[in-house]
Amino acid sequence: MEEDGALIINEKSNYKKMEGDSMKENGKCKTGIDELDRKLDGGIPKGNAVLMVGSSGSGKTTLCMQYLINGAEMGERGVFFTITEPLFKLTKNIENFGFYKKKYVEDGLVNIIDLRIISERLGLNSEKYNVEDASALLEVLKDIADELEVKRLVIDSITALCYRLQSDEMIRDFIFKLGSSLAGMGCTTILTSEIPPTKPGELKYSKYGIEEFIADGIIFLGDVNRRGDIIRTLQIIKMRGTSHSRTKSAMNISSKNGIELTPLLKSGE
Amino acid sequence: MTDVEYISTGIENLDKLLEGGIQRGFTTLILGSPGSSIEILGKQIASTDDVLYITTEETKDDVAQTMERFGWGISNIDFLDISSKFTQQILKGIGRPMNSFEQKSKSKILELIKEGSSSILPDSNRKFDYLADLLDSIKKTTRKKIILNTLDFFISEYPEDKVFRIIQEIKIQNSGKKTALFIILTKGVHSEILEKKLEGISDCVIELEVLQKGSTFERFLTIKKLRNYAKRIGIARYVVESNGFVLETVERIM
Amino acid sequence: MILITNTLIDGLKERIANAVSTNQSTGIIIPSNNYSDLICSLFEYMDTKPDAIWVYLTITKPFESLFDDYSNLINNQNIIFIDCISHAAGISKEKSNCIYIESPSQLESILLEIMNSYKNTDDKKNKYLIIDSLSSLVIYNDAPLVTEFFTHLINRTRLSDITTISLTIEEELNDNIRKILYLKSDKIIKLKESFI
Ligand SMILES: Nc1ncnc2c1ncn2[C@@H]1O[C@H](COP(=O)(O)OP(=O)(O)O)[C@@H](O)[C@H]1O
Ligand SMILES: [Mg+2]
Repeated sequence: MEEDGALIINEKSNYKKMEGDSMKENGKCKTGIDELDRKLDGGIPKGNAVLMVGSSGSGKTTLCMQYLINGAEMGERGVFFTITEPLFKLTKNIENFGFYKKKYVEDGLVNIIDLRIISERLGLNSEKYNVEDASALLEVLKDIADELEVKRLVIDSITALCYRLQSDEMIRDFIFKLGSSLAGMGCTTILTSEIPPTKPGELKYSKYGIEEFIADGIIFLGDVNRRGDIIRTLQIIKMRGTSHSRTKSAMNISSKNGIELTPLLKSGE
Repeated sequence: MTDVEYISTGIENLDKLLEGGIQRGFTTLILGSPGSSIEILGKQIASTDDVLYITTEETKDDVAQTMERFGWGISNIDFLDISSKFTQQILKGIGRPMNSFEQKSKSKILELIKEGSSSILPDSNRKFDYLADLLDSIKKTTRKKIILNTLDFFISEYPEDKVFRIIQEIKIQNSGKKTALFIILTKGVHSEILEKKLEGISDCVIELEVLQKGSTFERFLTIKKLRNYAKRIGIARYVVESNGFVLETVERIM
Repeated sequence: MILITNTLIDGLKERIANAVSTNQSTGIIIPSNNYSDLICSLFEYMDTKPDAIWVYLTITKPFESLFDDYSNLINNQNIIFIDCISHAAGISKEKSNCIYIESPSQLESILLEIMNSYKNTDDKKNKYLIIDSLSSLVIYNDAPLVTEFFTHLINRTRLSDITTISLTIEEELNDNIRKILYLKSDKIIKLKESFI
């Protein structure tokens, strides 16, 4: 079993590489957050599935929403699947940000879908999915992405989804299949991963320890403590298909501009 | 001095603690932590006077059954059974699960997308507006006591600020019609701001708490707020017996 | 006493005007006793250039109480304030021309908001930044961090053609800050209490 998994991962990265070669020119999906795109040497390589990791309140949902709205601005359609927050709560929060444009949602450029409603509609057990449930859900996610012709997809959070999958094998299988079929559509995916606030020395980027190995990239939202004040940080841990900065940036969240990055002052770490 | 008219809560010692009962026109917020038997208190209050009882978690039959067990009649009660309406709506809306063949059809996928993103559509697209139903029933009722058991349901279905606005409107109705409105809310599951705001507009706030003392639990009922009667703020220990709430030691705080 | 203060103010305003007109980065070192005199002169100077884009970073006084005698400045929409201490003190009122920073230790946010403030402004207008004051940042941050912050800031303002005036209070000054101020300023105005 172990070997199977390893093999699959290899296959996938080869596949990505080939695709990358054939579309050198326009191979990046711009997040639209200037400093982040600079750190990524242009953006997230198209078709990548990226894990956005952070504890609760670290800004994952906000960043993903900004990614979709910015995409819409560039004419790319996107879909946001929410699991942890109901739609009205999500939209209520996001409406406070200057970057949010209701028009994109109304025009269907940004689709926000409650995944719990979808799974209920599919007749899935709400607590635990068996293998058939998981593959039904996967099919529907693909069909929706296909139908809407999205270029950007977000699942918030993959942790909540993994919780419903019963084994490591299923988690591995689900994320892998999701990632590769979306990559086939040229869709760039962000999966949010909610982790407990980290203690020094025991950093893990996903609750189940599997998500992080399958993902093509990991972006980590953390913080540094400066005399008792918390400075939000963002760091790209890995990103297949691009040379990227590995330094920490300071991250600011404001109603006016949403998420903005600036280099972290080094003496402060 | 004008005579103040009171409505009995249906619990003798609670009336005593309140020195007469609840003043007509008052809105009473009852907060209780899970395990405090708060759902029983609502039913006991419903056991006297003519009552409009709005039930959201339990069906009318569930409520009737429990009340009979305690020996409380229900002939005085007019029910608004939102729980049953909600279940019907879900059954109607969700229908039977799709099979895998249906999933593949394009129109079904479009339908799924629409359903999955539906709750951000304007409220007019909502299949049934429970808040409007609530407001309407309260406006129309001629009953003396109104019990909303619970507000939790509305908060989980609607944005908080919208629920708050409706509660303000209901409060005004209640005060104008000189009825006694009891709103039951589970403590600690909604935002603290909302809890505070609701406490702020209520004339009376009663809180039920369960405290662990060693290996046993003790339950306390506190009158946290009583508008115009600061002296009647007090606390009582209680147990729930086969005939309902029994308040034991009563203490004045102020 | 009063007579001296008056002369001091007059002299100061001219000195500032001279320094700023020929230097992109001016540092001012002032004894705390003369701090309010300096602020008066600065405001008078700002008043002579109402059409320029001004960004005023305050770490010393809450935005609301900065201008008890200069209400025309507080309402000038060409002046953007970045207030680092009101929020921490729990006194932030929404104002269209004031940006509140959570705490003076959020140095990166300060950098970001300063540079954001000049975005979408008229390119032909002169751009100024007042830092009030560099030395008070050291109350809330370790000195090496403030040094790094100031280095980044002046590098960026120079790139964007922004004229900076950096105030420091003599009593708060330590070697680190003095060094970086000298290093990053084109001109230093140092005031002695016995000046003039
Ligand atoms: N309008 C706003 N202005 C500034 N900061 C905000 C605003 N709304 C939320 N935040 C900040 O963003 C954080 C929430 O980020 P969110 O994206 O929901 O985090 P996560 O999804 O990782 O839990 C909050 O902790 C809050 O500090
Ligand atoms: Mg979130």
